[in-house]
Amino acid sequence: MTSTAPAIQIENLSYTYGRNEAVHDLSLTVQPGRCYGLFGRNGAGKTTTMKCLLNLLRPQSGKVRVFGLDPTKHEVEVKRLLSYVPDQVAFYPWMTVRETLDYLASFRPQWNRKIEQELFDRFGLDPAQRTASLSKGQRTQVALIAAICPETDLLVLDEPTSGLDPIVRREFIQTVIGAYQQGIPGKRTILVSTHLITEFEGLIDEFTIIDRGRVVLTQDSDHARQSYQKIRARFAQAPPDLDFKTALRVRRDGRELELIANGSGPQLMDLLREHNPESLSSESLTLEEIFVATLKS
Amino acid sequence: MLLQVNFKSGLPIYLQLVEQIKAAAASGALRPGETLPSIRPLAEELRVNRNTVAKAYSELESLGVIETLPGRGCFLKENHSALRKDVRRKLLIVEIDQAIVQAHHLQVPRDEFLELLRQRMDVLDGKRRSNGNNKEAL
Repeated sequence: MTSTAPAIQIENLSYTYGRNEAVHDLSLTVQPGRCYGLFGRNGAGKTTTMKCLLNLLRPQSGKVRVFGLDPTKHEVEVKRLLSYVPDQVAFYPWMTVRETLDYLASFRPQWNRKIEQELFDRFGLDPAQRTASLSKGQRTQVALIAAICPETDLLVLDEPTSGLDPIVRREFIQTVIGAYQQGIPGKRTILVSTHLITEFEGLIDEFTIIDRGRVVLTQDSDHARQSYQKIRARFAQAPPDLDFKTALRVRRDGRELELIANGSGPQLMDLLREHNPESLSSESLTLEEIFVATLKS
Repeated sequence: MLLQVNFKSGLPIYLQLVEQIKAAAASGALRPGETLPSIRPLAEELRVNRNTVAKAYSELESLGVIETLPGRGCFLKENHSALRKDVRRKLLIVEIDQAIVQAHHLQVPRDEFLELLRQRMDVLDGKRRSNGNNKEAL
């Protein structure tokens, strides 16, 4: 392991279940300290990709590295460097919350008791409760405690908030920011897959959108929001027939126009301005809107 | 001081925080010596990456707007413009030029634009004065 190695490096990964190709020639790189989003619809290949990082699946072709290590050859070392919250959390039903965390802690070289207590208080969990009687939200909270306390350099979250109520979702994200990110800056890396993009918007530095196992778009979040714009114009008469070839999408209704642009926003604004619109405005697309615009065009 | 982020503004999130704190300092909503929220609670509350808040604060520190006292937090600096006068003017000219271009596109004539500028300065002065009065009342 070298200190300059990316936290995650995936090159030309492909994985096929029978005749169903789940991931095709996928490449992405996550630098240490970044929070990286993997966005895709249900069945896009997000979970398959993550399982290859954890050596729960072996890549059929391509290369996967975690801090420079090959998970198929160095499974123990890789698992020591990361923690994982899956979408379906399962515990031994006969154990209490306390026993479950002690059991999970026994596999870890370190376990931060102070953070554990802080999170117990925050979530209002009862250590004596059996895991069988936990709600879905509480189950996810226990899994999050188990992922944060070992203070690993990489946190992998696979659809962690799907099926949870909005309060629990908020708390989940605040906990990731507050408790996980409080470690050494530049050493706490997060990979999160989700289709609930809005909630993670502020956390995500960089993202990849995948569709049917293929990369559609990889971009820095701030850069993406600067580049993707929605432009609205209203004219006194029917809108002029202009060349909007550079727009991703054009909607017309009566005297109004709505354009979605990627990079060509300023030019389109200038073009519209020349025709003296009654009103003209633009706003950036949120990451969720970019996701929708990318997959629909 | 209550900050907020808007993902539709197109401005990078850390710059939105920088701009809001600079505006608060200019209007007197934030006074010299007052503390800024610390990084962790602010990041949690806004649900933005901790590094984003840290980046905003270090930018404000390098601009000389705030200072960090170890163990005590971040404060608004007493005389917070560390930039030389000509540099400050140059920075302002860029913003003024943008407003002039915008005025042209919105067909606001010269005199009306200048009058508007005067009005806005009065409004901001008024705000600063009322913030100052509150301070005396306390």
